[in-house]
Amino acid sequence: MGADPLNCVWLDTREDRTDRVVLTAFEDHWNKERGPRLEKVIFRNDISPAEALDLVCTTEGQIDLVTEVAPADAEKVQNSEYAKLEVIDSMRILLGLINRGAEDAPLHDKRARKALNLAVDRARLVSEAFNGYAHQSAGVIPAYAGGYPGNEPYPHDPGEAKRLLQEAGWPEGRPLRLATTTSTEGVARMLEGDLRESLGIDVEVMVVPDEGLLAAQHALVEKVMALPFDVLLHAWIDLSADAPPAFMHHYLYSEGGPFRTGPPVAEFDRLMGQFAKETDAERQSALSAEIDRFVYDEVLSLFLVAPQALYAVNKNVNFVAHATTLELAETYVTEEHWSRKNGS
Amino acid sequence: MAQATRQASAEGGKHTPVGTIHVVDPNALNWLFITWNTMEEPVRTTPDGRLVGAAMEESRWINETTLEVVLRRGITFQDGEQFDVRSFKRAFYEVQRWRAPHPPGTSLNFHPDTRLEVIDDYTVRMIFPEPDGAILGKFRGFHLASTRFWDEIGFGYKKLGTGEGHW
Repeated sequence: MGADPLNCVWLDTREDRTDRVVLTAFEDHWNKERGPRLEKVIFRNDISPAEALDLVCTTEGQIDLVTEVAPADAEKVQNSEYAKLEVIDSMRILLGLINRGAEDAPLHDKRARKALNLAVDRARLVSEAFNGYAHQSAGVIPAYAGGYPGNEPYPHDPGEAKRLLQEAGWPEGRPLRLATTTSTEGVARMLEGDLRESLGIDVEVMVVPDEGLLAAQHALVEKVMALPFDVLLHAWIDLSADAPPAFMHHYLYSEGGPFRTGPPVAEFDRLMGQFAKETDAERQSALSAEIDRFVYDEVLSLFLVAPQALYAVNKNVNFVAHATTLELAETYVTEEHWSRKNGS
Repeated sequence: MAQATRQASAEGGKHTPVGTIHVVDPNALNWLFITWNTMEEPVRTTPDGRLVGAAMEESRWINETTLEVVLRRGITFQDGEQFDVRSFKRAFYEVQRWRAPHPPGTSLNFHPDTRLEVIDDYTVRMIFPEPDGAILGKFRGFHLASTRFWDEIGFGYKKLGTGEGHW
């Protein structure tokens, strides 16, 4: 038993979800100002997200809230008679993990990594791949999170990108290997064009099939076999917005970081060591900024975007979106909501 | 047949819960979101993601390696048990049993040599072998529960025999 605003009647921890998970209000919760304001929340796992989106947009009384709405579906929600679109700046990033340990490509060289960053048109990426529902990245920390150092995104500068790549000694005829999962294949296809045109080299897109995802993840985390890509599109999150290096940078670049792609970086690990032992919030925030500035200056990743989180919500539901979680304590329904009219 | 409906109200900051919503959440972290909606932690996050006290009212560093945590009074678990320092202590010993209890990874672990010193029913000190600047973030994954939860369910203990990867 917990003590938060809602009771959990049953939660299955297996990979396969139960058809429904029902949460009921815990009226003795200590934080009366927050809630709970709903009597019941029913998670429906028995229908697909696409079907759910159709239902929230075209009906009432079926589905009230759909998370993870794709930017391409935003307009459908906005044009709906029954639903509205909620958008929040979230603690999510999408970047390219650069294989600094590639044996036959000079990605250990900062100039080559910077060339990749200068080759990408982030403004177009935001407007076309995300329909505007993302922010351009300038490092790992989003501009709205703690410790943001105030960097500007790398500009789109194909001329300088090409020059730097040649200067770093990119081998003649060697294609750039860009890997992606199926969920970010659209972004990869857009990047493929940018990289090919800006750098003047061929780009091979490698799509990890869904059934091969687990094996690919193992290979990335275990680091026993040589990584087969030059750049891997990678989405990551944080559980809070206060001190991103503890979760974001640590996982991406630390010596023990599961997503580190290349040899450990001694200066980075020194800074993280300081960060981990700093208990003063102001000094820790300054260290966060220093760490993010370092990974930006050393161009340890192909920095892309911070996607926003999109929700389709029934018009009679006042949903409070959160940057790091799906919190429902503050959410309430109006008197016009189907459940109140029906007495459900 | 018409039914009487409960009216929403917010007297004295208390809201009477009304209504039902149906949610479809394909996010892979749905299990974590449900945990956060139903369990208590020392901290929670505001809509913009900033950490604020929840079951913990405040904390302060007594010295480089000792964090004093003042727990909130007046918290009741869903089964009626009162929350106090015993709840914090039980959760601490439950999580410290495992090498990798948190699905997101061991960066959420407390140092294995961390000790607790109980000051009173609502004050506890955490004594670390070295300073831990990430402790407040780790509190986000430190789930506090009643005795019955640990005795009867735990994080997969009864069903799976282990809490590794299930906290």
